[in-house]
Amino acid sequence: MNGAHDLGGMHGFGPVDPEPDEPVFHHDWERRVFALNLASGFLGQWNIDMSRYAREQMPAAEYLATTYYEHWLFGLEHLLVKKGLVKPEEIEARVAELRRQRVGRPAAGS
Amino acid sequence: MRVLKGADVEQVIRKSGGARVHVELPAKFKAGDRVVARNLHPLGHTRLPRYARGRRGVIDRDHGVFIFPDTHAAGTGQKPQHVYAVRFDARELWGEAAEPRQFVYLDLWESYLDPA
Amino acid sequence: MGKNHPKVDDYVVSRVRALESLLLEKGLLAPDAVDRVVRRYEASTGPMIGARAVARAWRDAAYRARLLQQPTAALADLGVRYDRLVVVENTPAVHNLVVCTLCSCYPWDVMGLPPTWYKAPAYRSRAVSEPRAVLAEFGLVVPQEREVHVWDSSAELRYMVMPMLPPGAQDLSEDELASRITREALIGVAEVTLPARAG
Repeated sequence: MNGAHDLGGMHGFGPVDPEPDEPVFHHDWERRVFALNLASGFLGQWNIDMSRYAREQMPAAEYLATTYYEHWLFGLEHLLVKKGLVKPEEIEARVAELRRQRVGRPAAGS
Repeated sequence: MRVLKGADVEQVIRKSGGARVHVELPAKFKAGDRVVARNLHPLGHTRLPRYARGRRGVIDRDHGVFIFPDTHAAGTGQKPQHVYAVRFDARELWGEAAEPRQFVYLDLWESYLDPA
Repeated sequence: MGKNHPKVDDYVVSRVRALESLLLEKGLLAPDAVDRVVRRYEASTGPMIGARAVARAWRDAAYRARLLQQPTAALADLGVRYDRLVVVENTPAVHNLVVCTLCSCYPWDVMGLPPTWYKAPAYRSRAVSEPRAVLAEFGLVVPQEREVHVWDSSAELRYMVMPMLPPGAQDLSEDELASRITREALIGVAEVTLPARAG
């Protein structure tokens, strides 16, 4: 598809911005998204080409405004829902439940 | 459905990524052949970037036979075929104002290419 | 853009936790799988396999030829099973640069996980169209007489640059040489340098 991922030759992104001595993962959620993708791929419900295509289907404006592992998160949700392994309502319900638990906890140490 | 267990991780990672297909298939092209990338705009998955579509290049080498991602992603088959490194002059891709002595090598499946 | 926004982080953190807990509950994820995958890649040796291969090629002409012509066999010599590496050689006439414009393809087994800049739009968009400008940003000026070859990893082949042996390297052991070979040099955005000699 002619998506935003097809970046060769585009203009407007400014200089390349290397971070010296960067860690492999910048946040815990990044490493978990990475691992969940690999582990879920092993279920055999999709192949690597499907997983690349899933990420490509992120809406263009969103793709360009988000980071690499956010693309992976989108792709994983897309595939899990498409293959009927998880329902969108289940994700939303769990997100809301986890939010309630976070809010309910005392602020110290959070 | 199999589930990835911690103990299997190393072995699974080592064995994964099996896109290369060990089968003898006739190759349509060989090193030195002039080719043109097709002007395809599929809605599904493809690994032919927009910047190369309709552009002329030269086969640099034949990488062997691999699963075809366009059909594999759509669930319509592996369609194994030869993949070639194709060399494009920067001026062919980016116009006459492009830098001289600059080349882009793209790995392209046989289905993306026509003889030029 | 967006990466340090607190609201974004909260959103993604919640979503990732939600997904992980659902997959565990449904038996689609083993409890130890995530930690094992993380450990496998986070603690990986990074570019050390690639650096060792290049250092050996610099010291051993037969291995150099093997690495360039039969990379699968050359990697097997180092105890690595990987059948899709292509090694491209820098020469006085040619400078090589590797990119994946469509996503972030990179030789994980030989060079570890790629840096963030390699996967971001600025590099992916410009490496194929203005490589000399990108290299200049990294401090590498390629003279006009030298060709620049950019390898866009659009299929399953993964590319690694064999940098040129830096001047003054003759006294260094293979291990010392390997320690000087950075992933930037193996991607093609840097050359290998040696520390200035004391005195």
